[in-house]
Amino acid sequence: MQAKDIAQYALKALMDGGADKAKCVLVSSEKNELNLEADNINLLRTTFNSELNLKVIKDQCIGKISINKTSTDFINQAVKDVLEMAEASQPDDAHDIAPMQNPEEFNDGVDTPDLDKMYQRLEEFQAQTKKRYPTVLLEGSIIDYTRTSAYTLNSNGVDFCETKGNYNFMAMFTAKEDGNVSSFNYDSIALKNLDSSLIETGQFDTLLRQSSEQTVLKPLAGKFVGDVIATPSAFASFLGSYLGYLRDYYMISGASVFKGKVGEKIAHDFLSVSSNPTSDQLADRCFVTSDGFRVKDIKIIDDGILNTYLVSQYGGNKTKLKNLPNDANRLFIAAGNKSLEDMIKSIKKGLLLCRFSGGRPSGNGEFSGVAKNSYYIEDGKIQFPVQEVMVSGNLVDGFRNIVDISKERNESGRSFIPWVQVSGWTVSGK
Amino acid sequence: MLPSSLKEFAGHFTDYTELRVQENRNTQITLLNGDVTNNTKSSSSGISARVYHQGLWGFSSSPEWSSDSVKAVLKSAVHNAEFMASRGQGRGFSFELKSANKRLDLTTKKPRLTQKELIDFCKILDDYILKTYPGLQSRSVVLANLDMEKRLLTSFGSESYSMIPRANIFIRLSTEGSDGPCELYNFCGGLGQFEDIFSTPEAIYPEIDKLHEHLMNKKQGVYAQAGEQTVVLDSDLAGILAHEAIGHTTEADIVLGGSVAAEMLHKQVSSPLVTLVDFAHSYEGKTLPVPVYMDDEGTSAEDTVIIENGILKSFMHNKESAQHFGHKGTGHARAYQFSDEPLIRMRNTAILPGTSKLEQMIASVEDGYYLVKPSNGQADSTSEFMFGVPLGYQIKNGKLGKAIKDTTISGVAFDVLKTIDMISDKMSWGNAGMCGKKQIIPVGMGGPAIKCKLNIGGR
Repeated sequence: MQAKDIAQYALKALMDGGADKAKCVLVSSEKNELNLEADNINLLRTTFNSELNLKVIKDQCIGKISINKTSTDFINQAVKDVLEMAEASQPDDAHDIAPMQNPEEFNDGVDTPDLDKMYQRLEEFQAQTKKRYPTVLLEGSIIDYTRTSAYTLNSNGVDFCETKGNYNFMAMFTAKEDGNVSSFNYDSIALKNLDSSLIETGQFDTLLRQSSEQTVLKPLAGKFVGDVIATPSAFASFLGSYLGYLRDYYMISGASVFKGKVGEKIAHDFLSVSSNPTSDQLADRCFVTSDGFRVKDIKIIDDGILNTYLVSQYGGNKTKLKNLPNDANRLFIAAGNKSLEDMIKSIKKGLLLCRFSGGRPSGNGEFSGVAKNSYYIEDGKIQFPVQEVMVSGNLVDGFRNIVDISKERNESGRSFIPWVQVSGWTVSGK
Repeated sequence: MLPSSLKEFAGHFTDYTELRVQENRNTQITLLNGDVTNNTKSSSSGISARVYHQGLWGFSSSPEWSSDSVKAVLKSAVHNAEFMASRGQGRGFSFELKSANKRLDLTTKKPRLTQKELIDFCKILDDYILKTYPGLQSRSVVLANLDMEKRLLTSFGSESYSMIPRANIFIRLSTEGSDGPCELYNFCGGLGQFEDIFSTPEAIYPEIDKLHEHLMNKKQGVYAQAGEQTVVLDSDLAGILAHEAIGHTTEADIVLGGSVAAEMLHKQVSSPLVTLVDFAHSYEGKTLPVPVYMDDEGTSAEDTVIIENGILKSFMHNKESAQHFGHKGTGHARAYQFSDEPLIRMRNTAILPGTSKLEQMIASVEDGYYLVKPSNGQADSTSEFMFGVPLGYQIKNGKLGKAIKDTTISGVAFDVLKTIDMISDKMSWGNAGMCGKKQIIPVGMGGPAIKCKLNIGGR
């Protein structure tokens, strides 16, 4: 059977088996991956998979099963099992599947991998890193080409096919000089093609340079409350936790700090956050949500005002809040007007937070963690890379206390994130 | 059901080859405020082959394990290895090839519970929380089971079969604090299938009561004082310290990637009180949370003493790194999914117990903290670590004081270990952790309580 026939067979079997509503997603994938380990390109890995995900609702009880086999024997057994699972569950009126939408097919990206080019770009990255930053060791680098084809069908008539292929590159590295070692750092990017040298994409060149400067660090004495400029990588980790307060767990449990705040100002005017999974600026786009809706791009925060919660279809039904067809997984933060250089110049005493290694923020937004690969700023100038410095504060307050957002943004192929300056966070040394 | 043997394919091996068939089976049930929000089973299985040719690797995998599929996977892995050899220069190692045959099957002998019985078990726990503690803002009960079943055949004759399960129940409680939501979670469970670990829901009630008591203390909690502090880390935190801060920096691939530990072999790296071991499968006659008798390269697994009385003694290896360093391989190469290649991974990592009593350790601190539970953690090539701490208490004049709010601790591990001056005589093991390093994988970690100095985040 062809992939779509398999998905249709499974859906029919679920309905014939007694489901009130059913959904079937069949994802076929192929990955070709080159690995560099300890400065040596040493592995080519090819993997194939076919994942069949079935969801069934019977008497408002839910069951979900996932298998990676597509023969009718396996599908029949999975259908039997998932119906039994639903029968074993408890009813909840909030369970549902996506309504009928116009059938669509989406095709995006590259059809086939260029393995020779992948090898050439990885080898070039290794050579350029050695030439530009001889003290840097490439601990691990991976370039892959991944192609997926996903059929999403449900008993309301949803019928989407999403086929896409793109390249991904990540590198993790450390610098070593005279027996001194820097913290590791890393970056990753999704790419539409391999037209550019990898070192010129994302933040690789900047981060490699910074690592080469960070084998000798200085401690900070005492603590101060000051301005912190979070790089795109550091800010993305804060943003992920912040937006988590708008998602299902916090909204359904009633523990969200943003409960009842749609339409209200929750962040500084400077902050506008969108989720644009269909943007052609991205290398890895999405067209169908995990609930089976055709994606629509959305504004989450507009000039500091909260536009929407990020609840799923279940979460929306449970809380009576509106759910939007968007998984909020492709984030764009609007660029500011000031350059990063001018932002640094504006700081009397602060920190350029390049990587944040922190504990999971608490439900009220409190967080703390280590400032990795980061620099002390004084009198408008970067002074030195810091050692064993911690940053703590509150995310909710911090997003209200944004001082500036840079006009430069990091383009990762999955997001557009600028540098963000926040005041009022505690920076503490030993 | 995995095929009973892979031997029929041995004739298709050309170079050094590992052929592995594997199935991971997951069950997850989530109750959030009494509603079943997740009721899921998944199974992921298939075959993979890894081939070493002229010092370089080729790997391939497929979800099908028919005879034709296995042969195609072997051919594809050879093709990939040849592609690598045509482009690059391998390091030309020749591995130590000592064959062995191991079998470990921890499938329960008891009748399996149905999905309804599992959901009902969770529902009873949820009902208990609701009835006993009605003032909570929210509650969730999560049941998570993972069975990992593998069969391996190598070109040098090693064979293994393992079925290693783990089952856990996570409880998360949230209350309204003076400055917003205050939450705390804990888990129980470990090695084995659900039926072998959990007898009745009632047996878990004392854990829920303890969690609620801590939550109420935390609700009144204070900020920790930021900066360097004297702390007593309870065993869960000592375990994550052993795993994250020391374990990762002594994995040979991280050492080759620039870890600070590269320069420290056979040197004093900690207080002489510290002996730290990555155990293969058992300690003091008891099976550990992640028992490994043979790794996924066909190497027999043995204990690795990483630090002995304060001296760094060895790194953790796969076959390739063991050759590079001229060390003996002790079986650390493990893969999570059938489609994953083996990486150097820890198994059961722990600091060994000392002679002090926990009460004495707390009593010896004039002004500091007793830190009880970790959340997430991260290590670094410098050995600088960070752990989230959702549960801890002040120590004032040798006595426990107020609970503290969520915080984070950090330090340079090889410096922090030198400050250890007391280690408790009792240890415990945790088995809910997943370690992330390209792939995730179950790990065990444990330890006694330790007293040391490190940085704490706060106000």
